[in-house]
Amino acid sequence: MIRLSPQLRAGIQRSTLPALILLSGAMLVAGKTDQTMFETLRTGLSDVAAPALDVASRPLGAAEAAIDRVRGFIGVYQVNRRLEEENQRLLQWQQVALKLTTENRQLQGLLKVVPDRAVSYVTARVIANSGGAYVRTVMINAGSQAGLARGQAVITGDGLVGRLTEVGSRAARVLLITDLNSRIPVKIEGSNTGAVLAGDNSERPRLLYVGSPEALKIGDRVVTSGEGGVFPPDLPVGMVSAVGPAGPRVEPYVELSQLGYVLAVDYGLSGALPQPVPPAVRPGRKSKAASEELQTPAQPAR
Amino acid sequence: MALREFTAPELPRVNSNAARLVPILTTTIAALVAILPLQIPGYAALTPALALMAVYHWTLYRPDLLPSYALFGIGLGEDLLTGSLVGVGALTLLVTRAVVLRSRRHFVGRSFPAVWAGFTLVGGGMMLGLWALHCLLESSLINPRNTIFRMVLTIAVFPAASFLLGSTQRVLIDGPRLMRRR
Repeated sequence: MIRLSPQLRAGIQRSTLPALILLSGAMLVAGKTDQTMFETLRTGLSDVAAPALDVASRPLGAAEAAIDRVRGFIGVYQVNRRLEEENQRLLQWQQVALKLTTENRQLQGLLKVVPDRAVSYVTARVIANSGGAYVRTVMINAGSQAGLARGQAVITGDGLVGRLTEVGSRAARVLLITDLNSRIPVKIEGSNTGAVLAGDNSERPRLLYVGSPEALKIGDRVVTSGEGGVFPPDLPVGMVSAVGPAGPRVEPYVELSQLGYVLAVDYGLSGALPQPVPPAVRPGRKSKAASEELQTPAQPAR
Repeated sequence: MALREFTAPELPRVNSNAARLVPILTTTIAALVAILPLQIPGYAALTPALALMAVYHWTLYRPDLLPSYALFGIGLGEDLLTGSLVGVGALTLLVTRAVVLRSRRHFVGRSFPAVWAGFTLVGGGMMLGLWALHCLLESSLINPRNTIFRMVLTIAVFPAASFLLGSTQRVLIDGPRLMRRR
C-alpha cells in the first residue's frame, strides 16, 4: 500500500465531499443530455438487485394477503349475496356473448376479415417502485429471458399500466402512464377521436391534441388507438374525469399505486416493423441489373 | 470558506468492525425500504424520505462512520434502481451531509425538539431544493402538491425514525464502547 503523508491524507479527506458533490452534479447534467448514457449500468444493477428485491417484497405480499383474508371474513355474508346476484346476471351475459361470438365468426368468415395478430402475455410481479415524487416507474421480476422487449405494453385485468422502457435479462422497468415522460396514442371509444395521453406525475394524466375537444364528456372511455404500431389497439386506459379550460384529464382504470402482478403484452409487432436499410442482394453490377430486372415487370402488362 | 468544515470531527473510536458498519447498513436499508412496493394508495408518490433521515441522524452523531463515498454509493444505487435521473440521489445525500456538518455544533447535545427543528430546516430545505432542481431539469413547473405532502410526512415521521436510529446507536455503537471503558 502507498504511504501518504498526514497532510496529504487530510487534504484528500477534506476534499472528498466537495469532489463527490461536483461529480454527482456532473453525472446529473451528463445523464440529462444523453439519456442512454447510464442505461447499461441501470439494467445491470437491476438484474443484480432483482433477486434480492424479489425476496424482500415477498413478505409484504404475504402480509397483505393475510389482511385481505381477515377483511374478507367480516363482510362474507353481504359479499356472497352480491356475488350470487351478479352471477345470475353474468350467466345471462355469457349466453349473449356466446351467441355473438358465433355470429361474429360467421360474419368474419363471409367478409374474409384479416384476423388480428395473436397476442402473447408474460406475467410478472412488481418488485420495486420509484419511491419519490418525480418519477413514476415500477420494476418487475421478468426480463429478456422471459421474452420481454422494450416498448411492450404492460397491463392488468383492469387496463393499461404503462410500457417497458428498460429490459435487463431478469428485470425490467415499466414507465407508468402517469410519468412526466409518458406519451401514449389513445382514442375516445365510440367516436374514434384521436388524442395523446400525457403524464405529468399527478394521479390523473392529461389528454393532449384531442381531435374534437367539444365532443368530450366526463365518463367517456379512453382506449389505446394502436397508432405507432407498438401497442395493440383497444386496451382500456381510463375514463375522462375532467373537461374544461384547464384541459381534459383521464382517471386510469388501474390503481397504479397498488400494483401486484402485471402482464407484459407481446403484440408481435417489433419483428414486423420494416428494416431501416434493406440488405443488398448481390454486390457489383449484377445487383444493379437485378434491380432493373425487378423494376421492369412492375410496368403494367398489356 | 474552509474545507475543514466539510470534514468529520474527531469522535471516540469504535473498535468493533461490525459496529462501524451500522450507519452505512441502516442508511442502505432505509433507501431500500422506500422503494419496496407497499400496497398503500399513493405510497410511491408520498414515500417519506427515509434515507434523508438516516443521513441527518448519523451525520449529526457519527459523521465519521457514514463517509461521503458511502453516501455517493447509496445515492447512486437508489437512482439506478428507481429510474430517476442518475446523480439526483447522490447529490441530495451529499449536500445534506455538507449542510449538517457545517451546522452540527448547533444541534449536538441539544434536546430532541431542537434536533427535530434542525431536521425540519435541513430536510424540508433539501426537498424543496430537489423540487426546484426537477422543475429546472424538466423545464416545466411541476405541481408542488406531492412534494409538500411528502415533506410534511417526512418531518412527521422523523421522531419515530430518530428513536429507532438512536436506539440502534446506543445498543450497537455507544453501548459496547462504554461498557469496555467501565
